[in-house]
Amino acid sequence: MWGDWYQLWEIVSAPDNVPIVALLFLVPFYTWYAFRQAFETDRLIEQLEKDPQLAKTHHRKTHAWQPGWPREVHTWPYLMRVEFLAAIIVTVILTVWSITLNAPLEEPANPNLTMNPAKAPWYFLGLQEMLVYFDPWIAGVLMPTLIIIGLMVIPYIDENPLGNGYYTYKQRRFAIWTFLIGFIGLWVIMIVIGTFIRGPGWMWFWPTQTWDHNRLVFEVNRNLHEWWIFKHIVPQNIWAWTVFGAIVVGLYFAGAAYLIHRICMATEFSRKIYRRMSLLQIVTMQILLILMLALPIKMLLRLVFRIKYVWVTPWFNV
Amino acid sequence: MPAQPAQDPITSKSLSFHLLLWSFLLILSLAWALYDEMYGLRPWRSYQKRFIEAYSSYLQREIPKQQQAEQSIRSSPEYQKLEAQWKAAEAAVAPRLSEIDGEINRINRRLGVLTPVFQEARGRVAALVYQLEIARADDRQSRLREVEQAKQQTYSLSLPGLKGDEVEPVQLSYTDLELEFNRLKDRKAALVAERAAVLAEADALRRQLESYFSEKLAGLTGQQLQGLLRAVNNLDVRIRQIHNESAGLVDRCQSCHIGMDLSLVPPNLTLTKAELNLEGNPDAPFSSHPNIELLRLHDPDRDPAKALERIGCSPCHGGNGRATSSVVKGHGRHKYWLWPLYYRENFEAGCQMCHAQDMVLDHAPVLNRGKELYRERGCVGCHRFEGFDNEAEQLLSARQRIRQLEQQKREYEQEIARLQRRADDPATPLEVARQLNERAASLPVVMSQLDAEIEQLQQRTVSLMREEKKVGPSLKEVRVKLKKEWIPYWLANTHEFRPDTKMPQFRLEEGEIQAISAFIWQMGLPGPLEKQPRGDPARGKQLFETRGCLGCHSIGEGANKIGGDFAANLSRIGEKANYDYLVRWIYNPRQRTRPYDPIAKKDLGPGDYAKHGKPFVFDLKNSRSPDGKHELVVMLPTVMPSLRLTWQEARDIASYLITLRRSDANYPPAPYLDDPNLRERGRELVKFYGCAGCHEIATLEEEGRIGTELTNEGSKPVDRLDFALLTHNAKRGILPDGSPSPRGKWYDHKGFFEQKLANPAIFDQGKYKPDPRDRLRMPKPNLTPADINALTTFLLGSVDPQVPNDLLYRPEGARKDIQDGWWIITKYNCMGCHQIRVGQRSALQDLPQYQGPNADKLPPPLFGAGARLNPRWLARFLENPALSETDIHRNGVRNYLEIRMPTFYLSDNEIRKLVRFFEALSAQERPFIPPVIQPLTEAERTMARDLFTHPAAPCLRCHATGDPAHDRNATAPNFLLAGERLRPPWTQRWLLDPARMIPGTAMPSGLFRREGERWIFAGPLPASLRNYRGDHAELLVRYMFLMTPAEQRLLISRSPRATGASTGGNE
Repeated sequence: MWGDWYQLWEIVSAPDNVPIVALLFLVPFYTWYAFRQAFETDRLIEQLEKDPQLAKTHHRKTHAWQPGWPREVHTWPYLMRVEFLAAIIVTVILTVWSITLNAPLEEPANPNLTMNPAKAPWYFLGLQEMLVYFDPWIAGVLMPTLIIIGLMVIPYIDENPLGNGYYTYKQRRFAIWTFLIGFIGLWVIMIVIGTFIRGPGWMWFWPTQTWDHNRLVFEVNRNLHEWWIFKHIVPQNIWAWTVFGAIVVGLYFAGAAYLIHRICMATEFSRKIYRRMSLLQIVTMQILLILMLALPIKMLLRLVFRIKYVWVTPWFNV
Repeated sequence: MPAQPAQDPITSKSLSFHLLLWSFLLILSLAWALYDEMYGLRPWRSYQKRFIEAYSSYLQREIPKQQQAEQSIRSSPEYQKLEAQWKAAEAAVAPRLSEIDGEINRINRRLGVLTPVFQEARGRVAALVYQLEIARADDRQSRLREVEQAKQQTYSLSLPGLKGDEVEPVQLSYTDLELEFNRLKDRKAALVAERAAVLAEADALRRQLESYFSEKLAGLTGQQLQGLLRAVNNLDVRIRQIHNESAGLVDRCQSCHIGMDLSLVPPNLTLTKAELNLEGNPDAPFSSHPNIELLRLHDPDRDPAKALERIGCSPCHGGNGRATSSVVKGHGRHKYWLWPLYYRENFEAGCQMCHAQDMVLDHAPVLNRGKELYRERGCVGCHRFEGFDNEAEQLLSARQRIRQLEQQKREYEQEIARLQRRADDPATPLEVARQLNERAASLPVVMSQLDAEIEQLQQRTVSLMREEKKVGPSLKEVRVKLKKEWIPYWLANTHEFRPDTKMPQFRLEEGEIQAISAFIWQMGLPGPLEKQPRGDPARGKQLFETRGCLGCHSIGEGANKIGGDFAANLSRIGEKANYDYLVRWIYNPRQRTRPYDPIAKKDLGPGDYAKHGKPFVFDLKNSRSPDGKHELVVMLPTVMPSLRLTWQEARDIASYLITLRRSDANYPPAPYLDDPNLRERGRELVKFYGCAGCHEIATLEEEGRIGTELTNEGSKPVDRLDFALLTHNAKRGILPDGSPSPRGKWYDHKGFFEQKLANPAIFDQGKYKPDPRDRLRMPKPNLTPADINALTTFLLGSVDPQVPNDLLYRPEGARKDIQDGWWIITKYNCMGCHQIRVGQRSALQDLPQYQGPNADKLPPPLFGAGARLNPRWLARFLENPALSETDIHRNGVRNYLEIRMPTFYLSDNEIRKLVRFFEALSAQERPFIPPVIQPLTEAERTMARDLFTHPAAPCLRCHATGDPAHDRNATAPNFLLAGERLRPPWTQRWLLDPARMIPGTAMPSGLFRREGERWIFAGPLPASLRNYRGDHAELLVRYMFLMTPAEQRLLISRSPRATGASTGGNE
């Protein structure tokens, strides 16, 4: 059933989903806002670089200093008042929100009955969505661990001193794109999918499609070695599958590493930064990025080509 | 790049406006938060305030009215007279009273001076005595001296005298003080006692006055109402909760439903919306509990407040007792609360959780009806429900228990052998051998006890085989019973043929109907069936209407329908039934064509009996299999009883019934019923549709139930109820026919049950099921909306109990007997003819032929039957209501009634339960020990005869005597039965005031009047009795219980003939 706007309204209006609905608007807005600021700064940097005299004295992010302006601006009141205003606004919003929407307590837990769909809290929906594409120990243990480790090692890999304390795009192109793909492209999108798209049975329901508990879909997921021409090539034997999978994954690693390397070497600026990195830093960054990239690729394989596992081994499946 | 501003944007821009605006909004939101905290989240505050207003204005209106009523009572002559009496009595004793009071006053004054001194002295002495007690031996003497000194010490006081106001200065030692103190105390006690004695008469009169006042005044006194008004005006607005810690119960319902608080609205005050001037206001939850009696019932001391404290609200009504933040949450009518408040029309569902074992409950007519329907309509044929029709299960467990006990016996035998072997072993020491032998000798005794249990269990299995009934008729009889071509028509048009039938309409294709009919027909037994001559339909009609058939059966269609709805409507019976079978059926409905052997699993024919050289005879006396090894099923599994008609009467009734048909009745021939190719398909279908749940069908006797168990259906998670493609409409309040649901969303148990019962196929709507066997199997019962509601109520209440076990009603003893009894009473529809519950009407009572003076042709009401009847007699009567082995075509007790107590062929177990049921209902002790009847002296006998035949109370005018000429006009039973049938204490109470026991009885009341401690005859006393000092009623009872046929003949010769000029008729 399509065009079921009542269904859409039910999902959008659920108190649990308020943060995600807000996220739909706030994330694009702040992305746009940050980029606007960054581009303005970039233009300022250009202007300042043309005039070394001015560059020495600048302290503003968007406007070059002008005679008659104070050379320094104090935290109090100029920063504090803005922060104070922000604090008031946030307090008002939170107060109104907490009055109008109560915490959605549900029925007492019943171990004999699992709700359908059973959804994680919204901030973990991304992890839950990953379970569709990977085995639980990968999606639930390995990936989250890697995410945390990856976030922790960022300061040790990214030694680019530029861009501290101001918005800039030109000086941090690589970092920004990594963030956009990793956070918005993967994390946020997966939360949105988990909230709006996944219905009963964790099936894929397009917006305005009725969440029908009795819905039946016919989908056959195959492993890569059973798919397309591979099923004629790969022998029907677990060891052959292991070897085949290892080759495919190896090829992916090599290809992805090459691609990332090419991106790093794309501009003079990034080449400069890249050359400064140590081998350990490069390897760590490569591994993390390759693994991150694996997620959308696996999603694509799974959603479009109905591929279940790429690499089947007696011990684990990927 | 934006234009370079002239001023520094950071220092030159002002944020004042933003700060002002948002500060204002912040204050606003704070105010909102505070309001929400006070009222938004606490709606009960405003409810309580509104209640205070409404209730206090109600009380203010009520108080003057009540005061006026009080005034009018006070000014009534009776009150004035009582008051004057009381005042006079008080005045008479006033002088003595003032003397006593004066002396008490003086004693009090004297004690007032004496007591502190005495107490101080006693304290000193007591402390010294303690020192003496713990003193070392060498110290004892000096300590003793100290005590003596303390006792001798003198105290000087000025004691007020006992005569007047004089003061007498005295010097008293401790001993003297003690003496004086005790003397004064004793004197005072004596005076107080005397005062009470002097006032006794006046006090009695005062109490009389008070009780007169409170009896005359309905409701509370003005003073009490004033107290309530004060309480409500000073009401503390707070959460009001019932907390039963052991039950884990917290109910805050009274926070809004504050009229339920019994401390504010006492039980004898009823608040309704009308009384509070809130009529028509949908949001005024201030009524008091509408059924205080129900609350009283739930407390051992009949205190409604205690019942509320213990049980609270939500265990009965559902809802979330803890929630206080909104009506929706408190009532639990949202998807996250699993036990929502029952809707008004289903609130009796709340009884079922604790009373699942009760078939009949007071105050719960809808639930009772639901249970009745569940059984009568055959829901139980497919859906198991704990407690319903569990004879088969009990049979199974009894047989299993027998096997276990026999196994145990075998083990004991081996044990005996082992013990003896060890005892005989020369190596065993003598003492040990002796013990072993003793043990071996005691085991056979234990085994004989097991034998007793086995024997009881075997009795029980025989009982159970007799008790097992089916909802529908046995289909083994179809060949002899039915017209062949009617069968397929019936399957296709069940409700067109008989709209109120128990048989539901199955969804069958034409081919399925043919196969099922063919299977049923071919599995039918061929006979033998005797040919019957025709009878007289006119007489049959008269018998049908008077013998009691209409207690269960109805007749007439649509608005013309009369009779009970327990059994089939017979309006079109002539279209389907075979006359010869009908005669046999009416003569004895339990008569089988062939007996069924449950061990060999086949119906035995004459051939099987001939093999063992036995005649083909089977009935309750010849119920063993031809090889004599086990019990056979010799009765049809129907609850229809035998009315003990003669063959001629049966023929007459059958001849009448066979005329009941529509003139245009015509069924197409159905030759395919004999097609053997259809049989196997038919068998599959009959099994598939679960026909054997309600019908006895050859080869399918052991089939199980095909439906889901419903014992806890109300607790099933709503997701597991198969709303199928209607799920979304149910969640959005759209009914299956596309119209909006009046109560909004119906995605809940209530909605599911109601839709399913109205049309079980509804949840196939939109499904693609080309094979009929994939469709929902449940057939459609033809239920009225009220019946659907009753069944829904029953199912809604059928939940896994959420309350602790001690709150569940799992009675023992007499209450358990009552519980068990109702199952049998309702199983056999005793209430179709008899009144058993006060206020209940039997089906017969509403028939035109029993109106007005004809009411004495009705069967007797059974109120107090347990106190009336000797239980051993009752058991015998239930077993054989004719009370005779030979003269069976009659009523054993009320031979003068045309209506007949039928023979139900009850099992021993059922008779036992029924007798216990009646005894328990009347609070009789068990076992019954008949009181000893003192023999009559010759003088007493003469006096009793005089009373018996007194023209003012001619007993034998109405009571039967056994003389047919006399009994034609009798309306009461024969006295010869009294001795073994009745209980003397009841009989005496009956003589004194029969109308109180059974309203409308023909037995006259007021035959005796009270004189001192005894009852004497109210009419002119016969000469012989003038000097009799005993109780006349008691004398009559003794005479009655010692009645002999010879004595009765003597009485008949002395009394006037029965005239039948009576009204109403019992005892």
